[in-house]
Amino acid sequence: MENMANKVARIPNLVDWSTGEVRLMSAKCNSCGTYFFPKEHYQHRPGCSREGVEDVLLPQKGKLASYTIQYYPCPAPFKTEKKITPYGIGLVEFEDEKIQVTGIITETDLKSLKLGMEMETTILEMFTNEEKQQVVTWAFRAVK
Amino acid sequence: MRDVYIIGTGIHPWMGFSEKVFSDFAAVAVDGALKDANIEWKKIQAIMAGIFIYGGNAGHLSGQYLESIFGETGVPVVNVYNACATGSAAIRMAYNSVAAGETDTALAFGADVSPKGFLTAKSDNAVQDRDVIRWKMGGLPNPIYWALECRKRMEKYGTTEEDLALVKVLMSEYGSKNPDARFKKIYSLEEVLSSVYVCDPLRLYEICPVSTGAAAVIVTADKELISKAGKAVKINATTMGSAIYGDPTIRISALSCPAVAEAPMLSESYSASQQAYKKSGIGPEDIDVLELPDNSSWHYLVYLETCGFCKEGEADKMLRDGETRIGGKLAVNPSGGFSSHGEALSAQALWQVIECANQLRGRCGARQVEGAKIAMAQTYGLMGNSGTTILSV
Ligand SMILES: [Zn+2]
Repeated sequence: MENMANKVARIPNLVDWSTGEVRLMSAKCNSCGTYFFPKEHYQHRPGCSREGVEDVLLPQKGKLASYTIQYYPCPAPFKTEKKITPYGIGLVEFEDEKIQVTGIITETDLKSLKLGMEMETTILEMFTNEEKQQVVTWAFRAVK
Repeated sequence: MRDVYIIGTGIHPWMGFSEKVFSDFAAVAVDGALKDANIEWKKIQAIMAGIFIYGGNAGHLSGQYLESIFGETGVPVVNVYNACATGSAAIRMAYNSVAAGETDTALAFGADVSPKGFLTAKSDNAVQDRDVIRWKMGGLPNPIYWALECRKRMEKYGTTEEDLALVKVLMSEYGSKNPDARFKKIYSLEEVLSSVYVCDPLRLYEICPVSTGAAAVIVTADKELISKAGKAVKINATTMGSAIYGDPTIRISALSCPAVAEAPMLSESYSASQQAYKKSGIGPEDIDVLELPDNSSWHYLVYLETCGFCKEGEADKMLRDGETRIGGKLAVNPSGGFSSHGEALSAQALWQVIECANQLRGRCGARQVEGAKIAMAQTYGLMGNSGTTILSV
């Protein structure tokens, strides 16, 4: 994995690379079995006791459940130093966790996108902040 | 509960950005509704206002601002927000107040001025407001959510790019016949199919923009006022729905969705329409005119299924076979739909109800659905908001 030392997520508690792999920060309800992303996006089954919600990391890899190619820049407060348009957005399924998560598709030929293909979680550098850190968001790329 | 009737409706025609303030637009719509109902302002016993979210304090208290224009009378004024279903919430409260006998006559209205640039986050607290994450890190303008669902649909049911374009062709034909619509140009299939992609597979003409507009509806149970109005329209049901656990739809503003469906898609709209069918005793097969929220061509197709007008995956065939045309089995969006109007958030649900009322009153000229007796207005709303109104004459 590339050097992650000087990188910071634009908003905390969404993406983690402390294990050596880039993974999304989810939470699991041990009472109703539902996974949440972001972890504060509670989606309990009606009647659930809501007991035993624990932080978990989603697997690094998932399958492409849907995608689109966005041809216009996303308006502010979204910002990237480099022009990324047109960019792909994927909906990646983590099968065992029964959850699909959106993310920008990076380092992938957009023409090669196919539903069902294997994708992995990575980061996308957005811009450099005043502390000279690389500000990043989570992203997905095709598994080579 | 008493029978409740619509006796007056008013619209400020849909348009693009304006320097005028939202209350000016609201006043035009309310004035129109009072004249249509042939009643004085003092007859209004409750005001149910859709709020204008970009209007600051004034917009959030839109009912008070409106009341002071016509003259303050001390009646209850309630301001409500349910995203695109805001107008549905307003008319439902007006209906409930009158049906329960709390008041005899009530006003529901909404007015919206299109923001000058793009829609974007309204707060800066990412923990409290997921919308901040989708804008700051997700790169997710609204149409992307629709494109992600549309791609799934194409894969699952074989919906084609021609089907998506055909929706715009049909909507533009009807919009050209609606003086209150914003977009009146008629498009050919070739023109739509050669328009640029905004987010593949959705093209520029297959997505509705934001607009400025206002709409107002007066409801009553007062027999004298009903007899004085030109052809009053009965409200058979007006309901609100929210989402159901396990709905697989990726909702605007969310960053995730369930991978395994345990509830119908767009479950908030499924809930609202099912409640309306049950309350009214009217089913999809009885309905002559349907106004559905075609925010994109995908919406047009999926809403026919969500609301039970056909089975899952059959909407494309209904469209292709002409069953959804004026003169077909079910006239869908004779107004020209959102495609010809654009979204005016707090006003659009009421405008849909007004189109239905006008169809039942035989006032729609070149886009009139002949012999229409029962009509249904169905809304969409981000984060699990929806409303259904069923009307009859
Ligand atoms: Zn739970």
